[in-house]
Amino acid sequence: MRALIDLIIHNKHWFVFLLLEVISLVFLFSYNGYQKSVYFTTANDVVGSAYNVISGITSYLHLQEENHELETANEQLRKEVLEMRQQLAIMGQDSIKRLPELPLQYNVLSAQVVNMTLHKANNLITINKGEADGVRPEMGVICSKGVVGIVYMTSRHYSIVMPLLNVNSKVSCRLRNSEYFGSLVWQRGYANISYVTSIPRHAAVKVHDIVETNGFSDIFPPGLPIGVVQKIGDSPDGMSYYLRVKLYTYFPTLREVSVITNYHSPERRMLEGLTDDFTKQDSVLTYQDKIKEQEELRKKSDEKKNEKERLELEKIKQQLEKEYSASMVSSTTFNADNASTDTVK
Amino acid sequence: MNSIFLSRLLRLILLLLFQVMVFNHIHLFGYITPLVIGYMVVCMHRNTSRTEILIWGFVIGLIFDMFSNTAGMAAGSCTLIAMIQPVLLNMLAPRDSADDLTPSFHTLGFWNYIFYVLLLMLVLHGLFYLLDAFTLANFLLTLISIIGSTVLSTLIIVIMEFLIRPRKGAMYHM
Repeated sequence: MRALIDLIIHNKHWFVFLLLEVISLVFLFSYNGYQKSVYFTTANDVVGSAYNVISGITSYLHLQEENHELETANEQLRKEVLEMRQQLAIMGQDSIKRLPELPLQYNVLSAQVVNMTLHKANNLITINKGEADGVRPEMGVICSKGVVGIVYMTSRHYSIVMPLLNVNSKVSCRLRNSEYFGSLVWQRGYANISYVTSIPRHAAVKVHDIVETNGFSDIFPPGLPIGVVQKIGDSPDGMSYYLRVKLYTYFPTLREVSVITNYHSPERRMLEGLTDDFTKQDSVLTYQDKIKEQEELRKKSDEKKNEKERLELEKIKQQLEKEYSASMVSSTTFNADNASTDTVK
Repeated sequence: MNSIFLSRLLRLILLLLFQVMVFNHIHLFGYITPLVIGYMVVCMHRNTSRTEILIWGFVIGLIFDMFSNTAGMAAGSCTLIAMIQPVLLNMLAPRDSADDLTPSFHTLGFWNYIFYVLLLMLVLHGLFYLLDAFTLANFLLTLISIIGSTVLSTLIIVIMEFLIRPRKGAMYHM
């Protein structure tokens, strides 16, 4: 026993070493999909605010570029306003009544990038808006030029975004003016080059075609620009194209982004969740149960409605009967009068 | 709270500041990013207890991980070099040297010191980038990252050492 304790005391650095290595590996492996680990990343409030200060200093370095960009955007918007006014003036003369305005399909929330990596295999961006501002995981993030990425995890005031520049990112996309869709993946290397896979060989693809989102994923609305085809290659199996795409978003100077906050529809998600569980027997049961439940609810509401209608009908009936009886009374009195007159006669 | 502890704490804060604000933004050729935080372990003097070295290495790695979203990667790598450092230092130290020898050009000799730093950096970056990639596909890219970053970090640490301890016999613990 004493020898054992001696051994442990003598070699305690080995135990410390193993303990620390195990702790680091646990951090490493539990990082993915484990929301608590947000405390050990840049979404941590302390680290996040430190980065906020740093980026507040460094943002001055890019002011000129940013200004220039804003100016061009302004110019374009002004032009658009003018065009729209003209259009409106023409439309105003039209005698056909237009449809009432539909509610906007999605809201955007602007945010600033406070930290970003570009040259690792798993690049992540930290932005300074979080749950308190309505940001949730799996919301789309865009900037003035195009798509940026998808929100990966959130804390109260900060969120981590998985940009297109991440080997795990996969965004479904299509070629503009064509119905063929593929998925956008990234390979470690360049910060403005991505690849589109699984576009079929019979699709007519040209260099300088525009790649845009296709709205399948319900993260991005369809038609947002992603990039432009730079080179057309074949996939290793030869069954599809492998397109090299130059991204519109220029990540190294990215600062202002927008989060799409309400495009994500919970209804669709629930429906797809149901079909995901469909393979399991008990989930089929729950599915059927759910349907039954819904049917019962509907029945109940129908019954309520029927009851209401019945009550209403009865009320009307009673009223009618009252009126009817009243008229009957009057008619009988009338008859009686008649009779009396008759008798008088 | 002795002076050695305080000077190490100061060193930890300075190294982290440099690493997070300057060296994390170096991406030479797109692949090479030096991890200067390894210097924390490199300049531990000889009769420091091994547990202490391990804990300093782990702490600096962990804080670095928080700042650069690399959960556990740098902490694991720094702990590994903290385990190797005393052994390596004992091997390279001259026979009749002081017990609490601080590794530097003057105590180890120029080439011995460079070899010492290079080896520790190789282990540090090797583990770090292997954990980052976590696959042997594209191994050439990982290898370029490892070797390039090792050389660059060694260069930076040697320059830092020159700036901090320019004269022979200057023996403060920084």
